[in-house]
Amino acid sequence: MSDDKVSLVIEGREVEAPSTASIIQAYSASGGQLVTNVGCMGQGVCGSCRCMVRREGSRDVTMELACETPVEAGMQVAFVSYFQPKRPHVYDLETLTGGWQILDAIDEVFPQAKSCRHCGGCDRACPRGLDVQKGVEYAVQGDVLAAKDVFSECIMCNLCTLACPERIRPNHLGLFVRRALAALTLRPVELMRRLRQIESGALTVDTSTVDAPRQERRP
Amino acid sequence: MIPYAEALAALRRAGGAYPMRDDGLAVAELLQRHHPDNIGGKPVPLAVGVNAGMLCQPEVAALLQTNALIDDVDIAGAETLNTDILVIGGGGAGCAAALTAAGEGARVILATKLLLGDSNTVMAEGGIQAAVGEDDSPQRHFEDTYTAGHRAADRDLVAQMALDGPDAIRWLIKLGMAFDTVEDRPFGGSLKRKTPGGATAPRILSYRDFTGLEMMRVLREAVGLHRGVQVMDRCPAVELLSDDRGGCVGAVVYSLEHHRFVLVRARRTILATGGSGRLHLNGFPTSNHYGATADGLVLAYRMGAKLREMDSYQYHPTGIAHPAHLAGGLISEAARSEGAKLVNGLGERFVDELKPRDVVASAILRECAEGRGVARDGQAGVFLDVPGLVREKPDVLASTLVSLAHLAAKCRIDPTEEPMIVYPTLHYQNGGVAIDGSGRASVPGLFCVGEVSGGIHGRNRMMGNALLDIISFGRRAGAKAAESATEPYASRAGIGHIHDWQRQLTLAGLPLDARGPHVFPAYGNFDLAADARLTARRAAAQGGRR
Ligand SMILES: Cc1cc2nc3c(=O)[nH]c(=O)nc-3n(C[C@H](O)[C@H](O)[C@H](O)COP(=O)(O)OP(=O)(O)OC[C@H]3O[C@@H](n4cnc5c(N)ncnc54)[C@H](O)[C@@H]3O)c2cc1C
Ligand code: SF4
Ligand code: SF4
Ligand code: FES
Repeated sequence: MSDDKVSLVIEGREVEAPSTASIIQAYSASGGQLVTNVGCMGQGVCGSCRCMVRREGSRDVTMELACETPVEAGMQVAFVSYFQPKRPHVYDLETLTGGWQILDAIDEVFPQAKSCRHCGGCDRACPRGLDVQKGVEYAVQGDVLAAKDVFSECIMCNLCTLACPERIRPNHLGLFVRRALAALTLRPVELMRRLRQIESGALTVDTSTVDAPRQERRP
Repeated sequence: MIPYAEALAALRRAGGAYPMRDDGLAVAELLQRHHPDNIGGKPVPLAVGVNAGMLCQPEVAALLQTNALIDDVDIAGAETLNTDILVIGGGGAGCAAALTAAGEGARVILATKLLLGDSNTVMAEGGIQAAVGEDDSPQRHFEDTYTAGHRAADRDLVAQMALDGPDAIRWLIKLGMAFDTVEDRPFGGSLKRKTPGGATAPRILSYRDFTGLEMMRVLREAVGLHRGVQVMDRCPAVELLSDDRGGCVGAVVYSLEHHRFVLVRARRTILATGGSGRLHLNGFPTSNHYGATADGLVLAYRMGAKLREMDSYQYHPTGIAHPAHLAGGLISEAARSEGAKLVNGLGERFVDELKPRDVVASAILRECAEGRGVARDGQAGVFLDVPGLVREKPDVLASTLVSLAHLAAKCRIDPTEEPMIVYPTLHYQNGGVAIDGSGRASVPGLFCVGEVSGGIHGRNRMMGNALLDIISFGRRAGAKAAESATEPYASRAGIGHIHDWQRQLTLAGLPLDARGPHVFPAYGNFDLAADARLTARRAAAQGGRR
């Protein structure tokens, strides 16, 4: 490992860190209090470490995950501590009893989606590089399978929601479509059979087939 | 230890035909000599509490035997909220309990340390076990789980969980969770099934190789949309509340945003705070999320809840060893299930890669301890031969091991050319708070579900059983707790139980200035006393009294 140290600014703090460290590691190693903007800390799946990054010599601000992004000299980093507004899209999957209503449901729960102005803000914001804008379009047009695939790897970091000027909440729309599809169509045959066997009492578990619990403990 | 360049040359020379090294150690002896539970800090008996005398990992014992973080004066005048059910912890177990209790009509508060969903659950990759196949049965699931746990588990809990499996999957599907199917045929199709290490039939159901992410985003949205659940993000529990008979009647949570304590009084309290990987036992790196600091365990024990198997931890064999800044991150068992081999610095295999996790991890530690490991930039480990796997199955990275490819990119290596270097990583707390079939702990009013609980996985957990455990027991605890919704509140709710605890510590000669739980790892640079300005408040309270 190289011992190269780089300096950068995180949350207004001047920080020195080995060039291989992630932004979040650099922040905590420099004594910064780390009680928020962190979750999985390295796997890139919880979305809590979302941050705005400006690199030296560039005027662009990019959205990144601090636990996955290595530090660079001259970087400027600010975390996006963003709290969701209270439940603006209310729905109850159980009231969606059949697939016929799904287009109406999308329109009803996410009425803003049809006014997407194709500004691409969501695409630029997505640290996962998903085709968010396309996903919204698919959903509005009723191409639900395509929409479902677009959002398959979404980590629900909410950056697209934050970026959208039309308040569309693309990731929540995507999740709505995904949830509705699973809840309405996933009916695996062997699961249905097994449930019937268990619920009718035909299948039980006999705990006497194995020896009694081991008494001795490993020293 | 063998330098990287030399080891790599040995690996390439062997060209996939690795001889198998056999040191003739029986499994019991291998575990005894090399498993981290038995080397490093040896288990010690607990000195105080209901389990006094029980063996426990020394660092965990020290934490369990700490004094409370707060005193009566710190919470005098704090805001009090009332609810039917308090759920502590926003991972899979907490969400399943909250949704079920709220579904029964109970009012629920869910308090969590980070943001809802920041948890070990969201990180799970491999999948969830449920015996749905024609060639499988709940009976087999029960027997496999019990045997893999070295016959230390509570048989009734295991049997109940195995029978719950199919219904847990249906519940998740109803909430909108997707599972991989064979041939992409949802209605009337078949679920894709994989075989976990130690199983007699394929039983792992999954969503690609990020099953936990799919599960957690669905649960998080469902909880967020449920009118019966009030979520308190960034509010770690720092102590439980007791009535005058020692029962649990809620918790003291600390609002990180407002820097103040809130008392949440509840008829029933469900602890779902997860595991303890961030204690970095024996100096090991961990695969766990940032909040896994054993808080629930400490609070429950202090109040008198019985624990079990506290000397038994799971170290996942394939944590990343190099580069150092990613150390501990997980390479899923799926890589070995697909056929990737483990190779030491001499170009030899040294263990059947599909043996139980404790055996494989111990074998890797043996290679490193005996000088046959690979050394690179101060990090030690053995090779996981991903290039060899790719030679056999050219599309494996694109089709099944998607997350592994992503990980290799983060390690800045080309996985088709360069092997990964792996070393065991602290992964799972096998034991925990002893519970009954509804998740009830031995303290009245207190439930514990998920990784914080014990008795289900014995002394070794199979892949896929933790995700099932959190749904099965989370739902049961939620339903049982909701039955209390018409009971009156306890007349008193305070932290009186800590006085008795402090007396016990003093009698045992233990210091009162060691405080717990940690709430955050040391590198979080968080000090509750400073953050809440406890010293100033205590001084003011003193002054007021004079
Ligand atoms: C990388 C990884 C991969 C895994 N893969 C699999 C797999 O493929 N299959 C499988 O079955 N299992 C797997 N596991 C294990 C499984 O994910 C966990 O055991 C399980 O999800 C635990 O669920 P839980 O709800 O009990 O705890 P968690 O999901 O960890 O949730 C605990 C919650 O409590 C919060 N909390 C902690 N302390 C406090 C406090 N003081 N106050 C308030 N809140 C608090 C935490 O922040 C967190 O939100 C994996 C684990 C990891 C780490
Ligand atoms: S789609 Fe939105 S929520 Fe999902 S990862 Fe991209 S920016 Fe984050
Ligand atoms: S940010 Fe909103 S308006 Fe802009 S393209 Fe995305 S969804 Fe459409
Ligand atoms: S901490 Fe979870 S994505 Fe970075």
